[in-house]
Amino acid sequence: MDTHFEPKIIAFCCNWCAYAGADLAGVSRIQYPPNVRIIRLMCSGSVDPLKVVKALYYGADGVLVLGCHIGDCHYQTGNHYAQKRIAVLKRLLGYLGIDPRRVRIDWISASEGDKFAQTAKEFTEEIKKLGQLSLEGKFS
Amino acid sequence: MIEEVRRLAKKWLESRKVDAIVGLRENNGYVAPYLFTETGELERLVISSHTSDIIPRYSMFSKSQRYKKNILYLLEKKYPKAKIGVVARGCDEKTLIELAKRDQLELEKIAILAVACTKEDAIDCRCPTPYPTRIDVGERVEGVSSDMNVEALLKKNLEERFSFWKHELSKCIKCYGCRNVCPSCFCEDCKMEQDLWAQMGQLPPEIPMFHLIRWYHVADRCIECGECEQTCPVDIPLLTIFKLLRKDIKDMFDYEAGSDAKQESPLLTTLDETPLKE
Repeated sequence: MDTHFEPKIIAFCCNWCAYAGADLAGVSRIQYPPNVRIIRLMCSGSVDPLKVVKALYYGADGVLVLGCHIGDCHYQTGNHYAQKRIAVLKRLLGYLGIDPRRVRIDWISASEGDKFAQTAKEFTEEIKKLGQLSLEGKFS
Repeated sequence: MIEEVRRLAKKWLESRKVDAIVGLRENNGYVAPYLFTETGELERLVISSHTSDIIPRYSMFSKSQRYKKNILYLLEKKYPKAKIGVVARGCDEKTLIELAKRDQLELEKIAILAVACTKEDAIDCRCPTPYPTRIDVGERVEGVSSDMNVEALLKKNLEERFSFWKHELSKCIKCYGCRNVCPSCFCEDCKMEQDLWAQMGQLPPEIPMFHLIRWYHVADRCIECGECEQTCPVDIPLLTIFKLLRKDIKDMFDYEAGSDAKQESPLLTTLDETPLKE
């Protein structure tokens, strides 16, 4: 049996910086792992922590939350909230026995196509090491 | 102790310091919140206690499944000019502060008749602060600082925690008791009732989604009263997580729910106001 494990990764990207950064990575033909599935949102501040957990519950092995750098948010302070919420969520996941390293928040500006590719690569490697999550099967 | 509470309540009613007093009334061995307006009724005023054989425990802030607002909110809406006295223990006082912060109550319209808990009650509740900031009746006793469940959970590794919660949460019968009794829950549109987040009527619930909704949502306003855990018919140790999260929020943002009515919750402010310390 083939035991090769390809993780599923959901990346919540904000419309103004991270998604544009991902776009730039594509336009510049920078290679990054195909495991990352992008979901575009208006702001990282609209990433409800429950969305992150729902993604994990329905089969994602890791979740990236990507937004503008602090101070550059299109809505002034959306990413401030995102940072605080994800910090609390990571602690909570740790107590429940889900590795908090499966959730990562990072800042990528519209001009940082290479940083997006780099983040995607590093995170995919990390999740590959952590292995499959499959909460739905494990819990019920 | 209860005599003293009744005497003080009577004094407040007679001197028109308050128009009415909200407290628990005993009726044939059951208790429920009641609006005392006559001094004659006060002999049935009781304080909910865990260690008493006669008085069952009851949270003054319990809500019905249908109206997700507590009794003080409803009273304030109905009688906007009235000044209401509230018989409050340490946890009730924290609740009032936390609710006022979130525009559910106005503290100016409330007079708190503050009662300190006894040592036995504090031990039974595993309560770290069994006293209000200002005490009208009772003696201040020190609370319990360590919690068995919390320590046991922290000793486990990730795998063990996972299987522990899998076992505990699969017992859930989705009675919504934890939410209905929680003094800090007041949303009219509750995510626990929306199919988007957790399927209605599905048993066992989607673990850990269903419980995580409340754990996360109440994280910055939990005042550690322990009502959720006490009310749970299948004994899920919900308070364990809340205690840990409350400590984390104190470490990360220097914030304790229910302590200062002026301090805004860190999850509602920007990084400039409450920076993250991690």
